[in-house]
Amino acid sequence: MQANVGAVDATVPQQEARARRDARHDRLFSWLLKGCALLVLACLLGAAGATLWGGRHAFGTFGWHFLVSDAWDPGSDTYGALVPVYGTLMTSFIALVIAVPISFGIALYLSEVAPPWLRTPVASAIELLAGIPSIIYGMWGLFIFAPFFADHIKPWLTNYLGNKPDDGKLSWVAQHTFLGKLFGSDYPFGASILTAGIVLAVMIIPFISSVMREVFQTVPSRLKESAYALGSSTWEVSWDIVLPYTRSAVIGGIFLGLGRALGETMAVTFVLGNAMQLSASILDPGASIASTIANQFSEAAGLQKSSLMALAFLLFVVTFIVLLIARWMLRQLAHKEGR
Amino acid sequence: MTESAAAGIHPQSAATHAPIAPTKLTVRDLHFYYNGFHALKGINMDIPEKKVTAIIGPSGCGKSTLLRIFNRIYAIYPKLEAKGEIVLDGENILDSRYSMNRLRSKVGMVFQKPVPFPMTIFENVAYGIRHHEKLSRADMDIRVEQALRSAALWDEVKDKLKQSALGLSGGQQQRLCIARGIALKPEVLLLDEPTSALDPIATGRIEQLVEELKSEYTIVIVTHNMQQAARCSDLTAFMYLGELIEFDRTEQIFTKPGKKQTEDYITGRFG
Repeated sequence: MQANVGAVDATVPQQEARARRDARHDRLFSWLLKGCALLVLACLLGAAGATLWGGRHAFGTFGWHFLVSDAWDPGSDTYGALVPVYGTLMTSFIALVIAVPISFGIALYLSEVAPPWLRTPVASAIELLAGIPSIIYGMWGLFIFAPFFADHIKPWLTNYLGNKPDDGKLSWVAQHTFLGKLFGSDYPFGASILTAGIVLAVMIIPFISSVMREVFQTVPSRLKESAYALGSSTWEVSWDIVLPYTRSAVIGGIFLGLGRALGETMAVTFVLGNAMQLSASILDPGASIASTIANQFSEAAGLQKSSLMALAFLLFVVTFIVLLIARWMLRQLAHKEGR
Repeated sequence: MTESAAAGIHPQSAATHAPIAPTKLTVRDLHFYYNGFHALKGINMDIPEKKVTAIIGPSGCGKSTLLRIFNRIYAIYPKLEAKGEIVLDGENILDSRYSMNRLRSKVGMVFQKPVPFPMTIFENVAYGIRHHEKLSRADMDIRVEQALRSAALWDEVKDKLKQSALGLSGGQQQRLCIARGIALKPEVLLLDEPTSALDPIATGRIEQLVEELKSEYTIVIVTHNMQQAARCSDLTAFMYLGELIEFDRTEQIFTKPGKKQTEDYITGRFG
């Protein structure tokens, strides 16, 4: 009895010491975790700040004109960001327009329709595609796709849709719709905004479709069964049940692809044509922010270098705005659902 | 067993009672295979119209499998195969020419766990109707209200029809699923353990609802709860290892079962 009481007494200070040590460790651990998380924020702010600082000369010289001017002339040392910003947004937009429906189809096929033995191999193939370095897509775009595009697709588009056909005869489409401006071009080669958009689409399809496929598989089978039991077809189950159920993750996947498309450098530089001119036609060459920087950085100095830095900052801003739009869209959708 | 299977087990032949109602669904020599596994072995039964038929039996006896053949919901999965005949109003629903859409408008189903769609309460009910009928807005409002009233849910949700169905309680969600099913005005309503995920009070309301609905619908309910079968069904089928052991009036099954296996199961000796 005596010994027992003594033993209890002896452990009390030990337990207190242990508790103090644990509390100290926990504090240390939470600081460490906080540090890791803050590091991300610091990197982001640092990169944005560094590009803004590097671009101060350009912003100071041109002011708001830098954003709205389409001049990019190292000869007269005047620079404006409109052409590369437009090129970045337009190529990414085209890429999304092509990639989203195709990815949706791939993901639906793999999660709802395909026989089980086919699902895993195709899914692995998609993941392998996502791992191909962008330089390879760029080379494929430059050496194989762009010539093919110039020979077989572009003539058809300019002749039947564009306002600058080879034979000079305007099609009905070109006379009556805005499509004429989009597809009118005198430029003889394959490099163009549309080409870059298509190559980008090929690059982001694996990302978007693998995210979609994964989230489609999280839809409970009892939810789908309930819809089938009401007489829905596979298409109706996919569109009315699977898609709304996975909506936020699907939008997340789309914006992951869009983020990649906005910043993609090598592949776009290869197939965009790198022309600093603003054209309404998506068959004309153009420039993107990333391709402009990649093309000009090595020989730029002074105001040109500062303008490139300012462009880099604008890419940050564009990406940030895109993310904000994504958030806003999700909130609107949730609101509409009545949640 | 073989003798009664050949004759078709149905209440009229199994007992000496007069037929309690005309037959709605006739199951003839039904076999079912799961990846080659023989899950149902020659089921024969006549399910009477506008009565509640309960199917009981231990886990894995094939009772849910049987229910899932009545609206061919199994067909959305590969490698499942049903052989035999299920005749609904003179037509074999297992015939591949029988339209799935038509079958599912005639045979509604409610599942074990409440599964509201990720939509508003109103849309949950209207969703199924739109697959089968084009209704004006006003007619749709009336149909949705009727369905919610029949499912004894209207008073609880009438002020929040535009809110997400995911905000309802489990019992309300299950009644919403029943409303969704009966909104199509089916002839047969299949209930697959509809109260297994609910508390006793919600269960009581569902059972009361089943009692009310049987004046209009032929109801087949699968349950693991023998008291539930005893409380709310007119006929009870007992299944074991993929075979239909006994099918008779509920009071008969629970007071004077004809087979030893049935008696052992309902007295709790196994299962």
